Amino acid sequence: MDEEAIEYLAFSMLIVFLVIAASSSFGGGIFSILASIIALVTAGIILILNFADYLIFPAVTKALNMEFYPARNYKIVKTQDAILKNISGLYYATGFIAMNLFPYSFKEENMPSQEEDQQKLLTAPESWEKSIINLTFPFKFHVFACGLSVQNIRDELEGKRSFQEFEMSKAQKADKPDPLALTEIQRKINVIKARIDRISQGERPVATIMYIETTAVGVSEKSAMDNLTEQIKELQLGFSYLDLELQRVIGRELYVLFQFNFSLPISFEETAQYFDQQQ
Amino acid sequence: MNLKTLIFFGFIAISLVLLLAAMAIPKNLGFDFLKLLLLLIAMLFDVLAFSSRFYTYLLVPILQQRKNKIVLSNEDPYWFSTSMDAIIKKKGDDFISTVYISIPLYKSATEMSDEEKIDFSMQVSRLVGLSKEPVRYTAEMFVMNKDSYIQTLRDKISTIETQESEVLQKNQQGIKLERIKGQLSMWRNILDKVIKTQSFELGTYVTVSAIGTKEFEAVSLAQQRAREMISGIGAIFGVSPILVTGKDILKYIEPEYLIPFSTVTEELSKKIEESVI
Repeated sequence: MDEEAIEYLAFSMLIVFLVIAASSSFGGGIFSILASIIALVTAGIILILNFADYLIFPAVTKALNMEFYPARNYKIVKTQDAILKNISGLYYATGFIAMNLFPYSFKEENMPSQEEDQQKLLTAPESWEKSIINLTFPFKFHVFACGLSVQNIRDELEGKRSFQEFEMSKAQKADKPDPLALTEIQRKINVIKARIDRISQGERPVATIMYIETTAVGVSEKSAMDNLTEQIKELQLGFSYLDLELQRVIGRELYVLFQFNFSLPISFEETAQYFDQQQ
Repeated sequence: MNLKTLIFFGFIAISLVLLLAAMAIPKNLGFDFLKLLLLLIAMLFDVLAFSSRFYTYLLVPILQQRKNKIVLSNEDPYWFSTSMDAIIKKKGDDFISTVYISIPLYKSATEMSDEEKIDFSMQVSRLVGLSKEPVRYTAEMFVMNKDSYIQTLRDKISTIETQESEVLQKNQQGIKLERIKGQLSMWRNILDKVIKTQSFELGTYVTVSAIGTKEFEAVSLAQQRAREMISGIGAIFGVSPILVTGKDILKYIEPEYLIPFSTVTEELSKKIEESVI
């Protein structure tokens, strides 16, 4: 969680705690209990919004039958998973798939050998061609990249490593050291160390967002949407060669990625605002 | 204070005021239900305040329009620069200009040696880390636009058909008519094949944006960044990237340019035919 998230959470939760603390002033008895329940439900909603707003937001827009018009001729459907464009009676539905590289962070626990690295580089072009060879519809494979300051990232990683090493010594000095906790801390230290080593070897830290965009056509909204869902399933299957986690983009990130076609964010800070979950 | 923070604190303040009002109502007046109602509204504003972190762009239009079809903007999402090599979008008081650079890469893994494959992967890695500013690299597969070729074929067929009818009117049977019939069947077969087979094109391009207080400032900054990218990409791949201009930009932005109209209509009629059969 970044600073902004903590600020928003703190202020919103403050109101909730105020209600719980002063629940007796809501009439006493059953009314006080009801007030506490309302406060707790609110706290729950806020927490879900903080960690998984993509679940609540589409559910609300679907229930209220809400559609958004982000620009002339464009419409974001109530399920928040596609953008429709109507041109001369034809419907073009565009959807997005986010690709997460997180399996690689686990590989960083044990630095790959040079041979393993070479093997990956060797197979990459073929894997790409295998992924796209059977696709018979248009799509765009985007890699959004933003260079980061080497010094800042290095300082940040050094700080994290010191903290984890402190945690490790604390865990080792405990009366009964927990082997599971020790392994977990060691795993985190290995990941941080691998990153520091890569920067020391001259690798430039880059923040990336990878996503696929695809468009389907239909004579009605429904047929365009059905075709889009089919295409997205095929893409998820096709790109499984690349060892990535592929997830359909739903909610506010759909609007952000749609905007990316017309203008990109100007700085890393602006980008990070849009993709809190991927920081 | 920016709009987002203002909205957040606005909602928090409303929530707090409602909460204090609920608490201030005396207990013994039998207004307990009113207290709960005020509390519910206060909590709703609390949730709205938290949601404003990501949904400011929606909350204001929702509250203003209060209906289920929310218009965030009814203007075109961009317009072309006068030089036709960039698109421009307004953001607050500033302008954001975006340019597209096409990378002419015609390589396939099937015709690469192991060493070339490793080199190519390294080149792609270097490409991703090329810029310190935000850049987007895209590989786009789109349906080849054969509309003009199809039109040429149709024109050719209609010319030959006219010739055929002339020959028939003049009652000139024989080799000439046979030749014309042969030509007709050949061009019709070609047209049939061209329409039935979908051809795809894989293009690679880079998107770069820049911000400016004036339109021309944003455009020239974007062009400058594009020039830097072009020289970087050229050095990595040994190719000459091109700044995309005019209508060609549309196939990177608009969905209808990914699939040409003739292909769509052909595909749809084929689907209808299949479903009827």
